Amino acid sequence: MRLERFRKKSPWILHYNAGSCNGCDIEILACLAPRYDVERLGILNRGNPKQADILLVTGPVTHRSRDRLVELYTQMAEPKVVVAVGSCTCSGGIFRHMYHVGDGVDQFIPVDSYVAGCAARPEQIIEGVARALEILEHKSHEIERPFQLRGPLYCSGEQTIRRQMAAKVSDETN
Amino acid sequence: MIKQLHIPLGSQHAALLEPLRLDFSTENERIVSVRSDMGYVHRGVEHACMNRFDFKKVPFVVARVCGLCAITHSTAAVLATEQIVECMVSERAQWLRMLALEFDRIHSHMLCLAHVAESSGYEALFMHTMMERERVMEAQEILSGNRVQFDYATLGGVTRDMDSQCAQALLAKVGALKSVLSGLRDRFEANWSTQMRFKGVGAITLEEAYRLGTVGPIARAAGVRTDIRIESSHLPYRALGFEPIVALEGDLYARNRLRLEEIAQSIELIERILEGLPEGAHLSKVRGRPKGEAMARIEAPRGELFYYVRGNGGAIFERLRIRTPTYANLKAFEAIFLGQEYSSIPAILASLDPCMSCTAK
Repeated sequence: MRLERFRKKSPWILHYNAGSCNGCDIEILACLAPRYDVERLGILNRGNPKQADILLVTGPVTHRSRDRLVELYTQMAEPKVVVAVGSCTCSGGIFRHMYHVGDGVDQFIPVDSYVAGCAARPEQIIEGVARALEILEHKSHEIERPFQLRGPLYCSGEQTIRRQMAAKVSDETN
Repeated sequence: MIKQLHIPLGSQHAALLEPLRLDFSTENERIVSVRSDMGYVHRGVEHACMNRFDFKKVPFVVARVCGLCAITHSTAAVLATEQIVECMVSERAQWLRMLALEFDRIHSHMLCLAHVAESSGYEALFMHTMMERERVMEAQEILSGNRVQFDYATLGGVTRDMDSQCAQALLAKVGALKSVLSGLRDRFEANWSTQMRFKGVGAITLEEAYRLGTVGPIARAAGVRTDIRIESSHLPYRALGFEPIVALEGDLYARNRLRLEEIAQSIELIERILEGLPEGAHLSKVRGRPKGEAMARIEAPRGELFYYVRGNGGAIFERLRIRTPTYANLKAFEAIFLGQEYSSIPAILASLDPCMSCTAK
């Protein structure tokens, strides 16, 4: 029995709202509901990064949610795929260059499938996830790293602080 | 022996749609204190509206403050701006705006009810409510062309006119929704199990609700008679014979019942709007640039939404201020959580229907 054969049949998703307007989030919820029913593809929404195969991100990644996004991404086990849902997630959209947002999720983590639209329609989201599943099939267990914000954690008293908040991964590994 | 526990909820959690962090301190699983942090989704929309976008684009930008009540945001911005530019809005456009607002209220309330059901463990009820909600989403698509972010209200009127065929389709949709609503009410109100789960949980008294300045369904479920639809005259709700609904208990059960009754009421309002829709142009020209200051209040699905705009004759607003319903209700959240069992927190939180992207902007 090979795990790869069955992974495709029960991909679990992790949904993270990185500053979206809720528009795409309620469409993701509509996908899980009976009309569009992604459960027939074996897709379940579980809020646990350790068990998830697909990371559905919505929103242009605000400065306060970016390190949480990266944290969730690194906690997910390989192989994993990332689907960017919504125009603002793909490129920043209407929020592009606002003072508290990073322009799109691909500035921070590698994205496998982009879903445009404001708000993205459920059919589009399902298509994007299906495309991501095809990519997931060919992925190896090689560790994927985020592009930014991967400073080591250290504790000082009761507080947990992340050093080099904005340090790039390449700087860190060199 | 008292066992103390600190339980953080969020910022990412299965029961939460949006990032929000709540730090609970519990004694024997009862909440004794709560601290909240809701700034995770701050994007700086107000700042962008005052620096980058001209006033004609602002209604479409502020719609992206919140996807759930996008139409209320753009309508409120439009109503405020129209007071300080030269523009004559037809009666028909105002009625069409009310129509979109009522559809938005139904879909938001149904989402909230579904979320309450899911958070309190009724998975089938969640699925059932979401299934019926699709009718409203389809109706919104018929009316405006999109399901969620439909940018229907614009300066001078609405972006799309409605013909009789469209009105017939909308009537059919709300008629179908009306017939299934009684079944839904049965499950939420008359069911023994849901009654046990919801009654007496997460209650707020009338006095407290009044003192803490709550708005919207939370205040109305506690007995405060507040509804901007009759308090302001921006939109002709009085012509529809609108009367606010008030419940008394203030608990989770009362909030569910109030939302279901408001859905029924919104359906009635939609039918009345489609029946008596006046003739006229749906869009008129806007001349001049905003000069002076104006404000608008509107009843969003979660309560009072307040917009303040100030222009100095330029194309870009000097100041735009948004005060959202969840922001007004934050103080009440704390009062409601204290003394509750930790296990009912997700359900209570869902029934308060917080909108973080509204609050953080």
